[in-house]
Amino acid sequence: MKKRLYSIAFMFVLTFFFTAVVSAVKVYNEEKIETNQQVKLQKIILQVLGIPVEQRAPNREVLQVFEKRVKTIEVKQKTLYVGYAEDGKKITGYAFPIGGAGFWGPVYGMVGVDPEASEILGIAFYKHSETPGLGARIAEPWFTKQFKGLPIFTVQGDKKIFYLKPAGPGKRPNELDAVTGATGTSRAVEAFVNRDLDHFLRDTWKSVKKG
Amino acid sequence: MPKPLSGSQIFLQGLWNDNPVLRQILGICSTLAVTNLVANTLVMNAGLIFTVCLSSLTVSILRNYTPMKIRMMAQTLIIASYVIIVDIAIAAYLPDISEALGPYVGLIITNCIVMGRCEAFAKNNPPWASFLDGLAMSLGYAAVLLIIAVIREPMGFGTLLGHRIMPEGFTPWTIMIMAPGAFFTLGLFVWFLRARFPQTAEEKKKGQ
Repeated sequence: MKKRLYSIAFMFVLTFFFTAVVSAVKVYNEEKIETNQQVKLQKIILQVLGIPVEQRAPNREVLQVFEKRVKTIEVKQKTLYVGYAEDGKKITGYAFPIGGAGFWGPVYGMVGVDPEASEILGIAFYKHSETPGLGARIAEPWFTKQFKGLPIFTVQGDKKIFYLKPAGPGKRPNELDAVTGATGTSRAVEAFVNRDLDHFLRDTWKSVKKG
Repeated sequence: MPKPLSGSQIFLQGLWNDNPVLRQILGICSTLAVTNLVANTLVMNAGLIFTVCLSSLTVSILRNYTPMKIRMMAQTLIIASYVIIVDIAIAAYLPDISEALGPYVGLIITNCIVMGRCEAFAKNNPPWASFLDGLAMSLGYAAVLLIIAVIREPMGFGTLLGHRIMPEGFTPWTIMIMAPGAFFTLGLFVWFLRARFPQTAEEKKKGQ
C-alpha cells in the first residue's frame, strides 16, 4: 500500500515539475511565435502586392512597412488587404487569400491585383503538402512569376482566365507553364485559382467598386 | 553487475560499435523523413542530441527514486517535456525550419533511440556516464543522418545547404528527395559499412 502511494506521489511531483517548466518556456516564447506567424503572412501579402520587402528583414521592420502600406478591410465577410503607395493615399492594389484542394492536401495562397482589378500583380502559395521537387515547385519563383501581369476578367461559359499547359511556348498569353511531373497539382491549382479569381470579380469586387 | 564503461569506451560504442542507425537500425523513421535537406537535418540532429542527453541525465538522476513499475511512464514524461521545449524553441527562433520539419520534431518523443538509451543505459548508470552515453549515441545518429543528407540533397535538388553545386545541365533525381531515395541510400550505406567492417560472427563468415 505504501509503495503504491509513493508511486502516485512520485508521478504527481514529477508531472507537476515538468509541466511547470514546459508552461514557463511556452509562455515566455508565445509572443515571439505569434509574431513570427503574423510576419510570415504579412511578408506574403506585401510580396503579392508588389511592395518591396527583404525576405530576411527583421520582424519589426516588416510590421512597420505593413502598418504603413496595407490596410485590412472586410468585404462581404471576406478579408481584403488594400495596398497603398508610399504617400499612404493612392491605392496600388488589392490582395486576398485563395486556396483549394491540391493533389495531396489543401493549398493556401495569396493573390494581388491592380487597383482596377484588371491584372495580377503577384501570386504566392505558402502552405501545402505537395511532393517536394514536383508539386511543391508551385511555390517557386519561376512558377509564380508567370502570373505577373496576367489579365483577369469575368469569364463566360466554360472558358478560363488562364490555363496551365505543358512547359514550352504557349500559343496564347494566358497559357502558362504547368509543373512538369506534377500534372495533378497543376490541374488543381488551375482549377482553384480560376475559381477564386472569378469569384472575386463577380462578388467581392462589385462591392468594393460601390464603395 | 558489469564494470562501468569509461568515457572513451562509451563514445566508441555510440559512434561506431553500437551506432544506433548503422548497427541497431533504430530511428529510421526520422532518418527517412528529414534527410532530403542538409539544413533540416542539422536542426533535427541538434534537437535529438539535446533530448537524448538531457533525458538520459534526468532519468539517471532519478533512477534510485523511480519505482520500477512506473519508470516507463516517468521516462515518457521526461522525454516529452524536453521535446516540447525543443519544438517551442525552433518555432520561436527558426520559424522557416520549423515549418519544413513539420511534425517530425514532435515525433522525437517516439524516436526509439531516446527511450532506448534511458532503458538500456541511463536507468542503471550514474548521471555523468548516462549523459556521455546519450551524447555519444545521438552523435552517432547525427553523423549517419548527415552523411545521408549530404548524398541526398545534391542528387535530389542539385544543391548543398541551398547552394547550387551540381553543373547547370544536371537533372535532379526526384526519387532522392522522397522516402524511397532515403531507403536506397541508407540500405546501400549500411551494406557497404557492414561488408567493409564486419563485426558479428555472421558478417565475418560471409566476408571470407
